[in-house]
Amino acid sequence: MRFIRVNMNDRSIRVEEGGEAYAGLGGRGLTSILVNAEVPAKCDPLGPENKLVFAPGFLTGTSLPNTGRLSVGAKSPLTGGIKESNAGGTIATALARLGITAIIVEGQAPAGELSLLRIDQDGQASLVPAAEYRGLRTYTLVERMLEAYGEKTSVFCIGPAGEHKLAVASIQSSDVDGRPCRAAGRGGLGAVMGAKGLKALVVDQRGKSTDGIADPGAFKEAVKAVVALVQQDHMSAEVMPKLGTAALVGAVNSLGAFPSYNARKGVLEGWEKISGEAMAELIQARGGKTTHMGCNQCAIHCSNEFVDAEGKYVTSSLEYETIWAMGGMTGVADLDTIARLDHLCDDIGVDTMSTGVAVAVAMDAGYRSFGDGPAILEMVEEIGRGTAFGRILGSGPAAVGKHFNHDRVPVVKGQSIAAYDPRGMLGHGITYATSPMGADHTAGNLVGAYLEHKLDPLSPEGQIPTSRFLQITMAAFDCMGQCFMASVAMLSPEGAEAFRKVIEAKSGKTLEPDDFPQGMGIRILKAERDFNRRAGFTRQDDRLPRFFYEEPLPPHNKVFSFTDEEIDGTFDF
Amino acid sequence: MPTVKVRVKLYGTLGERLTPVERADGVEVEIPERPTVGDLLIRLGISPAGGTVVIVDGRVLAADDEVRPGVLVSLFQAIGGG
Repeated sequence: MRFIRVNMNDRSIRVEEGGEAYAGLGGRGLTSILVNAEVPAKCDPLGPENKLVFAPGFLTGTSLPNTGRLSVGAKSPLTGGIKESNAGGTIATALARLGITAIIVEGQAPAGELSLLRIDQDGQASLVPAAEYRGLRTYTLVERMLEAYGEKTSVFCIGPAGEHKLAVASIQSSDVDGRPCRAAGRGGLGAVMGAKGLKALVVDQRGKSTDGIADPGAFKEAVKAVVALVQQDHMSAEVMPKLGTAALVGAVNSLGAFPSYNARKGVLEGWEKISGEAMAELIQARGGKTTHMGCNQCAIHCSNEFVDAEGKYVTSSLEYETIWAMGGMTGVADLDTIARLDHLCDDIGVDTMSTGVAVAVAMDAGYRSFGDGPAILEMVEEIGRGTAFGRILGSGPAAVGKHFNHDRVPVVKGQSIAAYDPRGMLGHGITYATSPMGADHTAGNLVGAYLEHKLDPLSPEGQIPTSRFLQITMAAFDCMGQCFMASVAMLSPEGAEAFRKVIEAKSGKTLEPDDFPQGMGIRILKAERDFNRRAGFTRQDDRLPRFFYEEPLPPHNKVFSFTDEEIDGTFDF
Repeated sequence: MPTVKVRVKLYGTLGERLTPVERADGVEVEIPERPTVGDLLIRLGISPAGGTVVIVDGRVLAADDEVRPGVLVSLFQAIGGG
């Protein structure tokens, strides 16, 4: 285990062994346990005491496909609690193949100083002055980085929003085509990076070493078994390559749980025009790519390349959550507008979800009309330009609600909900309320259980245990660097067993069935909840906004009905 | 044998073999009276075990639920999130 500690106060860089406390960890497990151990919980997220931790998954860089995720951890300026956000692209594999287990960025550069953290082919880290790149948007920055450092370079960077330290700022990751279109979007970690004075990680992709595999023969066999399970999963094998995550637009609208017009309705008028099916048809007709590889080591290819009427690249990858936030919440049933907004968000470096919801709150407060696409483009541009209103919008939905004195703000712990209304899919409300991350779309997503008819989305029965199970399980998989799509294929007991064998073959240590995912997931959630408690969170923070309890959501006209006591029983550890 | 008619919309990759108009408007299917979801899937040549999601009036139906005459049936593929 090789940790690189970068101190921005004096620009010193130290390499150290990870130590026993972090053995067997990577990704979210490593970032959360380290942040809980080392960051003062009550610190200013944008101050020198916060630490920004980058960690590839435990299995990233190995031959196991779909493990190209990089976790980023810190105290979040959006939620005020612990945060892990992960991104695909090429950066995680590049770091893992240089034998780097984690990069920990500490301290704070003097005001006005901006740097790149360069990691060369030998894994040597250095801080490079970056004043000339100040204010650059991410697409231009990445072009300049590839010119300066060569095409075999991965870039993980912030745009103007991160430099302005805005709470919706993302960290953008370059994909296999060298475009910064993958994002660690949630929780404002781009603002933490900006506050440190760090514009980008610039990492050579030509590393060949990893942490080492204890039993290469067993590892190869175990990988085969996991790959077979992912290939058998029709979501990963059939739907994702053809339609991507956007395939959910139709199903969730048909179930009346697609939060639309700032969560006033559960169905967006004209959703058929922004469905995964409509998008695939449009992309094909224009000569774009419906199947595209966005991340290193990917065998699923859920990405796409959206092109305009002239066949020119607009953005990659247009995803379900972005289509919802920028289309559903704002009432814009137009893929071209949504695609331009997606590109703009990636370029200025903001989370499409929090940004779309912040726009929707402003619209709901009467600032602009729902459905006004040009107005949204102008509003989001203001974030990039750093105008006074842009800074309010860029501070997230809760800040926008305060600005307009508007109380319909769909956030938990300051972070916006995802594309599943908790009144139409009750279990998502449990996840939103209780996840240490704030409202979240990957922490414990129940939509599969609803679609497979294992749970009724409108009946309280089974929602809490299912949310608990998924939150624990996904926390464990988030340690491994494996993407959400492949992890969903591993949710069965057979999947968990096959996956344990991969971990055992890499670590050389025997795992009991309770160790993974259950044991590991609980260990991580405990660390995260411990940090949040010490940061000042109480049970009262595990609540949905009032309107979800009071305003029925059409078409089912249900409200979120769980009591506080029921919510508080979600985690029984 | 008496039959009933239902309109079916196919989403995801289920509708790949249909024309754009059939995908947009759905296709009319005639099946023997009191059909279950399972009967409808068999009639459409879709394996009931293949993770197909049947939605009518905003609710997911089970394989042995009856499909009432005249309803609009939407068929999707189960997805675990995104």
